Amino acid sequence: MAVQIPPSPEEVHATLASRNAEVEEQVRQAYSKTIQPRFPSGMALAAVGGFGRGELFPCSDVDLLLLVEFEQQMPPAREALSAFLQSLWDSGLRPSHSVHTVADCVTEHEKNSELTISLLDRRLLAGDSKLFAWLDEKFAAFLAKRGTGIARQLVNLAEARRAKFQNTVYHLEPNIKDGPGGLRDMQTVRWLAALGRNSGSAGLSEAFEFLGALRIRLHETAGRDQNVLGFDAQEELSEHPAALMRDYFRHARSVDRAVQRALEAAEAKDASLLGRFHEWRSRLSTLEFTVSHDRVLLRGPARVDQGLSLFEFAARHKLRLAADTVDRIAGVVPETYWSDWKKLLSAPHPIFGLRAMQDSGTLAAAIPEWSKIEFLVVRDFYHRYTVDEHTLVAIASLDSIADPRFADLYAEIEDPALLHFAILMHDIGKGSRVDHVDESLRIARQVLERFGAPEADRAAVEFLVARHLDLSTVMTSRDLHDGATARMLAARVGTVERLKQLTMMTYADISAVNPQAMTPWRLEQLWQVYLLAYAELTRELYGERIHDRTPFLEGLPVRYLHTHSQAEIDIHLAMVRQLKTRPVSIEIAHERGIYRLTLLTEDRPGLFASVAGAISSFGLSILKVEAFSNAQHIVVDTFTFADPHRTLELNPSEIERLRGIVRRVVEGKQDVAELLRGRPKPMLPSRAAHLKPRVVLNNDASQTATLIEIVAEDRPGLLYDLTRAISAAGCNIEVVLIDTEAHKALDVFYVTIGGRKLDAELGMRLKTDLVAACSTGV
Amino acid sequence: MKKIEAIIQPHKLEEAKEAMKAIGIDGMTVSEVRGHGRQKGHKEIYRGMEYQVDLLPKIKLEIVVPSARADEVIRTLVAAARTGKIGDGKIFVFDVVEAIRIRNDDRGETAL
Repeated sequence: MAVQIPPSPEEVHATLASRNAEVEEQVRQAYSKTIQPRFPSGMALAAVGGFGRGELFPCSDVDLLLLVEFEQQMPPAREALSAFLQSLWDSGLRPSHSVHTVADCVTEHEKNSELTISLLDRRLLAGDSKLFAWLDEKFAAFLAKRGTGIARQLVNLAEARRAKFQNTVYHLEPNIKDGPGGLRDMQTVRWLAALGRNSGSAGLSEAFEFLGALRIRLHETAGRDQNVLGFDAQEELSEHPAALMRDYFRHARSVDRAVQRALEAAEAKDASLLGRFHEWRSRLSTLEFTVSHDRVLLRGPARVDQGLSLFEFAARHKLRLAADTVDRIAGVVPETYWSDWKKLLSAPHPIFGLRAMQDSGTLAAAIPEWSKIEFLVVRDFYHRYTVDEHTLVAIASLDSIADPRFADLYAEIEDPALLHFAILMHDIGKGSRVDHVDESLRIARQVLERFGAPEADRAAVEFLVARHLDLSTVMTSRDLHDGATARMLAARVGTVERLKQLTMMTYADISAVNPQAMTPWRLEQLWQVYLLAYAELTRELYGERIHDRTPFLEGLPVRYLHTHSQAEIDIHLAMVRQLKTRPVSIEIAHERGIYRLTLLTEDRPGLFASVAGAISSFGLSILKVEAFSNAQHIVVDTFTFADPHRTLELNPSEIERLRGIVRRVVEGKQDVAELLRGRPKPMLPSRAAHLKPRVVLNNDASQTATLIEIVAEDRPGLLYDLTRAISAAGCNIEVVLIDTEAHKALDVFYVTIGGRKLDAELGMRLKTDLVAACSTGV
Repeated sequence: MKKIEAIIQPHKLEEAKEAMKAIGIDGMTVSEVRGHGRQKGHKEIYRGMEYQVDLLPKIKLEIVVPSARADEVIRTLVAAARTGKIGDGKIFVFDVVEAIRIRNDDRGETAL
């Protein structure tokens, strides 16, 4: 569904033209009143940049160049110029001006290539036309002589700007002016064409009209030069924001392809002949393919309509396709069999092959189902990329694994092609009305059958697609030390090889959500899940635990022994001894980017909630909490948390302050609600992003406890309010797992009452209390 | 209208200015100031004598914006001026009763 955003293409041109005429009139009048009378000749006013092109958006800067004949004219001109600018300011314009002589304009400025570039779009507005004609003449000669250097500067500027946006079009809140695929890229294509570096921007007019319409609306809505198409703006501009963004990405991709081609052509022209000769003889070249500048060109005998050998070649040698190659394979639907895919996906860097396929449109040609997820937006505010891009980023994440444990695990996988193909299919069912896992599985079956994959390969891929969310669900919402968790995992996975593949699939899937999604905590949890399931599958039992008759251990649940090492228990015993002289003992430890606060004290109602509140008040984010109490009512609470602002890491004194505040809270000397009052509410990603709280009770997932799974809008003190509600109902909290995805809090509580699971009546009552607690603020 | 007064680390001035420009805030007043908060200065040795430097150099930015934009400006400033270390500074927000452009006697938000 194409979305028509007002204004229409005709209106875009009309709006720009009328804005341009109006501003031109104002500027001319101001010039004739202020500068013209004093300098009837020897001075000229030119429109440059966007104004020079006649593409003036409602709130864009008005770029002006005051051309003077001699340097000596500048000081006397200053007063007239300031009166000129003042009258423009007063009429509400935002002039952005510079004053130069003709000689200035035709000098190469290393640090100020913007001047040269802005002059490419110059236009006389008022003043001495002879002087301007002289500039025209000189500038043409300057371009003829220095064109190569200017083109190189243009390429550098464009590359630096695009790098600020990670070189990808697929931002869910894109900057439609400066981002890749935006209006500035389109302009870069035109400029390079003007410098004779490529064939120009033919075919981009539709994209210009689309982006132009968006920019006009953004300016009108914001009343200023606002170019970020944020979630709120998407909702305001269209009743179908996802469809609007699909259209946006389609246009942005066509601009992005054009600019990449233009940059590539400019670089190639720039290269020395000898260098190109060496490149041409690159040792990688084969009978079918030639490599130049790390890009693949086709030779005469190359067959691109059968098999995937071109892409396999790219995947083997980490290469991209040359623009010429993309042109030659446009519209080709390659005939492929399973063996072609296996070869491509077994190559050392499959992502290069897949990127080449995606960029040339071959991926959707070879797997028509792929087109359903092209440019598909998931509006959960947590995923950074469109579904197709997420899938490719997931495969790319396996190309450079920083953590040695996962790198080794990946290397151990017997047939990585199956894993890669499963990742390619894992979200292909998104965007349909049914559950995406079921739909992806259905499509994967269909595709595998079409390619003629053998039974064993099909089963392996289908298993991975069907189970691709299992491990992440377990790691975020199940207590790994609960025996039921390991048994459930082992039963689902079945074999060690599948466990390895599924672990790496989960690694890739989480890594590709957004650049920050794979936190040290998630990485650690995933590894623990792997170890747990591995131990269960290989029946490697835990070593014998201590059977000490220390009074401290009396009455602690057996689970305590399962979750703590001997060293940790020794530390706890030392902490117990401290309790003889003080009411509370606190230890804070730090490992692999994760902090752990252990607290021993005499139990009292609301203790757990208060400490959680104190930790949150430091801006630290709690990930997991475990609570144990023994026969003497001594509690051992462990709070695991991350330090997103690096407060504790950069300010060692803050660790002591944290310890002090926790102590005061435990001793009842500090009000937690007051501490939390100072925390800011997380910003809602869009006005329509409000979440209704959801509370689900589950009595089957654990043998000993009831699981309460809560999804709610995150806010400061949420955990504090939830734990308070649970304590108020007389329940014990054994374990809490906390996860956040953008503004969404996902909390799982393992709760018991009198050592047993909750009955239905209490469960219902608690559920009501918790829903209420989700919405009330501190 | 709100006045946003930010006391920041001197080396964060450029970043803060850039960030303001990026969201379309053109006008600001910048001054070099000295002061201390919880950071409470540091010790320095001068000619063998140890003495307490109580007042540290900081930059003060003053920006007056329409009330509707205050939140965005504050968030942007916090992100630009943060290093995470004690001494990053503070932001104070004031209500502004009136703004007047002296040159032509413009009043209110048009004078900003």
